[in-house]
Amino acid sequence: MIAGLAFYLFAGILIASAVMVVTSRNPVHGVLFLILAFFNAAALFLIAGAEFLAMILVIVYVGAVAVLFLFVVMMLDIDFARLREGFRRNAPLGLVIGGILLIELLLVAAAWRFAPEAAALRLQPVQPDGVTNTEALGRVLYTDYVYAFQIAGLILLVAMIGAIVLTLRDRPTAKRQDVAAQIARSGSVVTRRVPIGAGLAETGIARPPLPEAPKPKQVEHQGGGHH
Amino acid sequence: MGFDLTPVLPELFLLVAGLVLLVVGVLTREGEAARVVATLSVLALVIGSIIIAASDKSPQLALGGHYVADGFSAFLKILLFVGAALAILLAQGFLHDRRIARFEYSLLVLFSTLGMSMMVSANSFLALYMGLELSALPLYVLAAFDRDNLRSTEAGLKYFVLGALASGMLLYGCSLVYGFAGTLSFDVLADAFGAATAERPPALLPLGAVVGLVFIIAGLAFKLAAVPFHMWTPDVYEGSPTPVTAFLATASKVAAAGLAVRVLMHPFGEWTAQWQQVVVLISIASMLLGAFAAIGQANIKRLMAYSGIGHIGYALVGVAAGSERGVYAVLVYLAIYLVMTLGTFGCILLMRRQGQYVEQISDLAGLSRQRPMAAAALGVFMFSQAGIPPLAGFFGKLLVFLAAVEAGLTWLAVLGVLSSCVAAFYYLRIVKVMYFDEAAEPFDTAVHPAVTGITAITALATLFFIVWPGPLLRAAGAAAAALVR
Amino acid sequence: MAEVLYVAQTVVIVLLIVVPLLLGVAYLTYAERKVIGAMQLRQGPMTVGPWGLLQPLADGLKLFLKETVVPSGANRGIFILAPMVTFILALIGWAVIPFGDGLVLADINVGVLYLFAISSLGVYGIIMAGWASNSRYAFLGALRSSAQMVSYEISIGLIIISVLLTAGSLNLSAIVRAQEGLWFVIPHFPMFMLFLASMLAETNRHPFDLPEDEASLVTGYNVEYSSMAFALFFLGEYANMILMAAICSILFLGGWLAPFGFVPFTWIPGPIWFILKICAVLFIFIWARATLPRYRYDQLMRLGWKVFLPLSLLWVVVTSGVLVAFDLLPR
Repeated sequence: MIAGLAFYLFAGILIASAVMVVTSRNPVHGVLFLILAFFNAAALFLIAGAEFLAMILVIVYVGAVAVLFLFVVMMLDIDFARLREGFRRNAPLGLVIGGILLIELLLVAAAWRFAPEAAALRLQPVQPDGVTNTEALGRVLYTDYVYAFQIAGLILLVAMIGAIVLTLRDRPTAKRQDVAAQIARSGSVVTRRVPIGAGLAETGIARPPLPEAPKPKQVEHQGGGHH
Repeated sequence: MGFDLTPVLPELFLLVAGLVLLVVGVLTREGEAARVVATLSVLALVIGSIIIAASDKSPQLALGGHYVADGFSAFLKILLFVGAALAILLAQGFLHDRRIARFEYSLLVLFSTLGMSMMVSANSFLALYMGLELSALPLYVLAAFDRDNLRSTEAGLKYFVLGALASGMLLYGCSLVYGFAGTLSFDVLADAFGAATAERPPALLPLGAVVGLVFIIAGLAFKLAAVPFHMWTPDVYEGSPTPVTAFLATASKVAAAGLAVRVLMHPFGEWTAQWQQVVVLISIASMLLGAFAAIGQANIKRLMAYSGIGHIGYALVGVAAGSERGVYAVLVYLAIYLVMTLGTFGCILLMRRQGQYVEQISDLAGLSRQRPMAAAALGVFMFSQAGIPPLAGFFGKLLVFLAAVEAGLTWLAVLGVLSSCVAAFYYLRIVKVMYFDEAAEPFDTAVHPAVTGITAITALATLFFIVWPGPLLRAAGAAAAALVR
Repeated sequence: MAEVLYVAQTVVIVLLIVVPLLLGVAYLTYAERKVIGAMQLRQGPMTVGPWGLLQPLADGLKLFLKETVVPSGANRGIFILAPMVTFILALIGWAVIPFGDGLVLADINVGVLYLFAISSLGVYGIIMAGWASNSRYAFLGALRSSAQMVSYEISIGLIIISVLLTAGSLNLSAIVRAQEGLWFVIPHFPMFMLFLASMLAETNRHPFDLPEDEASLVTGYNVEYSSMAFALFFLGEYANMILMAAICSILFLGGWLAPFGFVPFTWIPGPIWFILKICAVLFIFIWARATLPRYRYDQLMRLGWKVFLPLSLLWVVVTSGVLVAFDLLPR
């Protein structure tokens, strides 16, 4: 019973926050609602018994992707009132296209017919023999799907190269820190053991003499006026 | 199943080569890196082609059935590798002149080629999608490679946004098909939909799967730049650095066409009637748009974009035939198209005035006086693209139309012939400008040897294809037979 | 009925964890001032109560009685939400921490991932506070902080992977049990050092406390906060420190296990050992604050991406290589 209640609670909040993502006026609020939606989706995964996916959803989407989203949205300076003007004007066209798509989808749904083999091929989310789903995922990922997994890694590598190609600029004026050179520097810095409580004079460490202060110039007073 | 990696050897080799070259590029001195990495990349691609040519051509599955190496993939991979190697060679002089010579160019081409070769070897929707993304992502970056040039960055951005949209459509289609079949593998898919057996004829595809298939075709049509998913092509072709345009127009299209042929002929080969009309529609639209829209173009790269759209229309005529003969014709067409297009872009790269690359068709005026050989080569390519016998382009078209007639699509073949007559107009206009118009300013005489060499070789290949067509036709025949079993 | 009992039992356990934790936070501030005082040859707080022992309570009372000020340009809802998020996130991490063998509120089998997820959420409290305050200093602090935390999370993640490979489980109790005989601090000593440093960065502590750099940002993201809202940030930050110390002792220092498995050591119960280990790690936090100068921001980023990330990645490769080569893989 608790699981059922929890499901409707999380599903309800998920849908409500998803609606808020689209409708909220302030884009930052929109992103925050998106995060809430991710959370509830993760909770639904938990209820379905897919704890690994739930955690990964939070770590990857909430912990990393949404932070960058938030970053960008907070720094953007967009006049959203102006964006909305176009929305008004284009709304009828959008409604027509949406309507056509909906009708098409309904047509498809009416003729929905699963291939008889489909049910047998469906995978079970929770393994019957007590294998945790982290382990089950790992077993498939590194055997049957290792090809796709490796290509995914390669795509990320290419994305990294692409980002560097498009954005990295070597400015000749930039000052770079060379840690090795800093560490290898010797002679100018001396470490001494100073007894606790000792003053500078007792340790023999001489403070460098202060530079001679320039003598104040004599100003010729003319009359009795103030400066 | 096991982990027998022998069939994957060419990809594995390219992958390791790419990773090693990445390190080489970073560690080599700044001025040298671009040249060194380019040379080594070309070498890697050549070795890759040799590995494929030497490998066993019988169909072999690998990596959990997601990958298949057969005669069909081998043929296309050799085309791709050669195209990529030539694109790298074409680029070096250009990039140097534009002061954007960086070693990443060759690497991105290499990784994109790797993705394309995974595409043509894909044996499941998962592998198809991953390969497609791996090939597309470097292309987006390459289109924007001249990053301080407004038009180049615009091209990159446009290509990226529309490409992402097309990926979305493709993925949506894949998921629909998966939802109805319960499998991603091409081998099992046909059975899941009730392919013909000894007892019964093939069942009708479920409506959802047909909708999914249409989405998949739409996604692939984007990569092919076929109408109505061609909108990005002229802008991206014009804005991208010219060697990148050459790569986009050749290797990328060949890979997408190969993938489309495999998807349509392998898992859905039994249901030709159910997808034929979509392909026919795309094919007609592409042929007509390619023929008519190119007439008004003033920029030769835009013209090549429309010309490429038209060529894909002709190639799709062969796909629409849905027979082994059709696949054979498509493969021959693609090979000839690749050679002609690379040659044409070589000619475009030869056109320089005062150190600047010029791209207007009117700039070609007087080319025949000052650079007779370049003009002759461009003339050969133009005649060949128009499909005038006895040049190579004619045979490609001939085979495609023959296949269509054999499959009972005579009217489609007639339409194709008519539209290629229209297209001949603008190809011949270029020849007219080169030979009969007066030059405004002289062309630069200093040329890059690689560009000249590639142009010359491709021109000779186009011109003398009729003398020795055997090897190409035989290889394409074997490849088609391997796919349509 | 059984469900009501279950809920009541859970509430009691939660209180048993949270109340000592908050007391611990209060006296961690006291310990910090005393230890730093000793290191700098001062006495620290001495006025309120014997040896200043009641000082944290006085501080808390003071904050509690002050007025909560919400700046007029602030985004009110998020401004108030931010400290709560920080505080709550610092508390819910404790749900999966095992204090002894079986002494854990929720013994879930992805405990490590849960903790990692919670710690990766910590950035939201700060970034929300910085943005909602509508103040340049606060926003700069928030930006610094989120970039820093996201960067160091990556190396923390890779460090955790090395430990997981050796332990063969994502369950925290199982990780502790895997250390019977040999604490992971010995085979993974370099990762332990990296973890200590990343831990400082992740909790925005010295020498990586750029987000609240007084000199350049007048204390950063929480500059506009006062009273209890500020106190919640403060509590959250220190509770996070304790949580990190707990994670560190679970991953590397054998959690509740006694240092040696024979008699005089095994007389002392597990939870005591665990708390002692947490205190030892907390001492490192304080020690670092007392002795190290603050990093420059570019140096901080450089350290995270160019030093920690490759090193921890390399260690993952080395660890898995050794485990496979010598057939030491768990199970």
